Amino acid sequence: MHSTIFGSLGFALFPAVIGVFALLGSLTLPLFADVFPYDVVALFAHALFLLMGVMVGSFGLMGREFMNRRFGQASLIAYASRSLPVSERRIFAAFLAKDTVYYILLYVLPFAAGFAVATPFIGLDPGLGLLAFVSLALAFLLGLSAVCFLSTLYARSVALLAGTAAVLAIAALAAFRLGTITVSAVLPPYAFFLDPAVEPLALSLLLILVPAAASVLFVTVDYPDRTKRFKNSLDPLAERVGTLGGAHFIAKDALDLLRSEGGAGKVIFSFLLPLGLVWACLQILIRFIPGIDPLVVFAVLLGVISATIYNWLTEFDSFTSYTFLPVEVSEVIDAKLKSYAIANLLPLGVLVLAAATSGGVGTFLPALAAFASVSAYTLAVTVYLTGLHPNVMLYHAWVFLRYLLAISPALLLLIFVSIVNPGYAFVSLLLVVPAALLLARGRTRWQAWEMPGY
Amino acid sequence: MRQMIEATELTKNYGSVTAVNRVSFSVAEGELFGLLGPNGSGKTTMIRMLTGQIPPTTGSARVMGLDPAKDPIGVRGLVGIIPEQETPPSFLTAEEYLHFVASIRNLDSVDERCDRWFDLLEFGDKRDVLCKDLSRGTRQKLMFAQAFLHEPELALIDEPLINLDPVMQRTVKDFLKGYVQGGGTVFLSTHILEIAEEICDRIGIIHNGRLLHSGPVGDLVGSGRHLESFFLDLVRGDAGA
Repeated sequence: MHSTIFGSLGFALFPAVIGVFALLGSLTLPLFADVFPYDVVALFAHALFLLMGVMVGSFGLMGREFMNRRFGQASLIAYASRSLPVSERRIFAAFLAKDTVYYILLYVLPFAAGFAVATPFIGLDPGLGLLAFVSLALAFLLGLSAVCFLSTLYARSVALLAGTAAVLAIAALAAFRLGTITVSAVLPPYAFFLDPAVEPLALSLLLILVPAAASVLFVTVDYPDRTKRFKNSLDPLAERVGTLGGAHFIAKDALDLLRSEGGAGKVIFSFLLPLGLVWACLQILIRFIPGIDPLVVFAVLLGVISATIYNWLTEFDSFTSYTFLPVEVSEVIDAKLKSYAIANLLPLGVLVLAAATSGGVGTFLPALAAFASVSAYTLAVTVYLTGLHPNVMLYHAWVFLRYLLAISPALLLLIFVSIVNPGYAFVSLLLVVPAALLLARGRTRWQAWEMPGY
Repeated sequence: MRQMIEATELTKNYGSVTAVNRVSFSVAEGELFGLLGPNGSGKTTMIRMLTGQIPPTTGSARVMGLDPAKDPIGVRGLVGIIPEQETPPSFLTAEEYLHFVASIRNLDSVDERCDRWFDLLEFGDKRDVLCKDLSRGTRQKLMFAQAFLHEPELALIDEPLINLDPVMQRTVKDFLKGYVQGGGTVFLSTHILEIAEEICDRIGIIHNGRLLHSGPVGDLVGSGRHLESFFLDLVRGDAGA
């Protein structure tokens, strides 16, 4: 699909963009070695790929949506167990394997290759490239298999998932309080990178294979046996947001989110879980970098992750659904922006909760400014580059490169200045200006775009 | 007589493929015009150009006096459109979808308008069902309802009877005939010749993007020819040329 839309080169170059970015990033490591020692950077990289595994796993949640999304919307294949002699378990296992190969080739391999090319220039053993490939792949698979396992639990029983999550949370909290938890224990692939011994490798494989096998063995697909009926909620919802303009579009977005499969699970797996992981990583990071304010850095990252809400909002309707109605693309984008603003109350609540529970009330205001500005800026970049199609267009190599180039420098600078002084996070408010410009241009840019092959 | 559609040398290229090639025709007020052609002949592309969904590569059109390339929203505000493949949004109910369309078109008396279509097309019992759970036939009924909800003077319909059962096909055909008798105009595209022969006043036959024939259906009947044999001779002749 991506090749059809972008042309073969546009999609094929996507890994090259990742590789070049990893290469350039690796070449700058010596410059920041005093602030970010290599082992801290390695921890970041492993946490990043763990997070990616979690988010990829979260793409497919439970039941039918799990199958639909994991199968790239190819529901004919997803439902093949109904018409062909193929079990759901076998289909699911095949696509788990497909995802593993696909994402490792698309992300992990080029990232490790970029790092490997840089190693001679930064005084590191070139063999570390191969080691990084293995350990980063393990970190990705650890996240993927964990979420697959949790989502299988969810599909079986919400109570089972809640119980498991509660036990894990209590155990993690207790371990943190007692100080007995180590980074290596939480992230064995990272331990393997630091010390390529059999023990962390075996532990990594165990933590990947057991949950993955369990998720395949106990997978269940929820074929609805009855048709759901709903009273008209569109008009009452539209009335509530009537003052915003585009009320029926906003109400439709809300109903799409509420009624699509996954429900609360979608929020837990693709939003709250990654945020929890980011928060946990920051708690570890402050041990290495004294003076860092975790709330401000968390707010910056929260802003970036919040922008994925736009992907949710655009997931369920294509503009082709409106092309036979008197509706402008800009009108739909405007409504999505309003829906986005409303949906951002969720990450705002997370930020408030993080501030309240971490004693970070003192830096709440700069954190709030950083969150709001980064969220708006990342959204604006996304809208400008991808219009109403972020779930597709971000896989275009050039689009993704421009996305990275637009966002990474701003984020790194913001994180850097906030480490120097959390109050400097107010600088982030400057991002509102380019955000407004990008949104204004994005509204008109996508007016006449025709999706090739559609 | 007022011309509702005027196409002049309309051409659409997709890369190196010419989907519609210098097609000219017109449709007068009160006519039921059928554009006939095999699959992939350019029928859907023609409707998309006439409704401003895609711009022509060259040539021009006027729909109810407006240029769809320059004022697509104006055109889509006036006409009703039933696209061939599009389905209503998954997570709205049938009733909610009609209300959604009504809000876009700024219509009043929405409940009355909806009830009329639920009754005519006999799917009122599905009004609270999510669109994704509707059968294909019911979705087509819903798309029909949304196109006529604002009582347009001109409707452009891509494959009007697709997925409908014989009883509903009869209902829709009768509706379209009555609609035209009442002063409305219909431009429909189809590859089902019986529909055209039964309800169309005039037809156009398109093949490989070129308009091979345009004229009243009555002329064919008067000359003792059946539309099917005429169509097949024309298309096969063009393919062999």
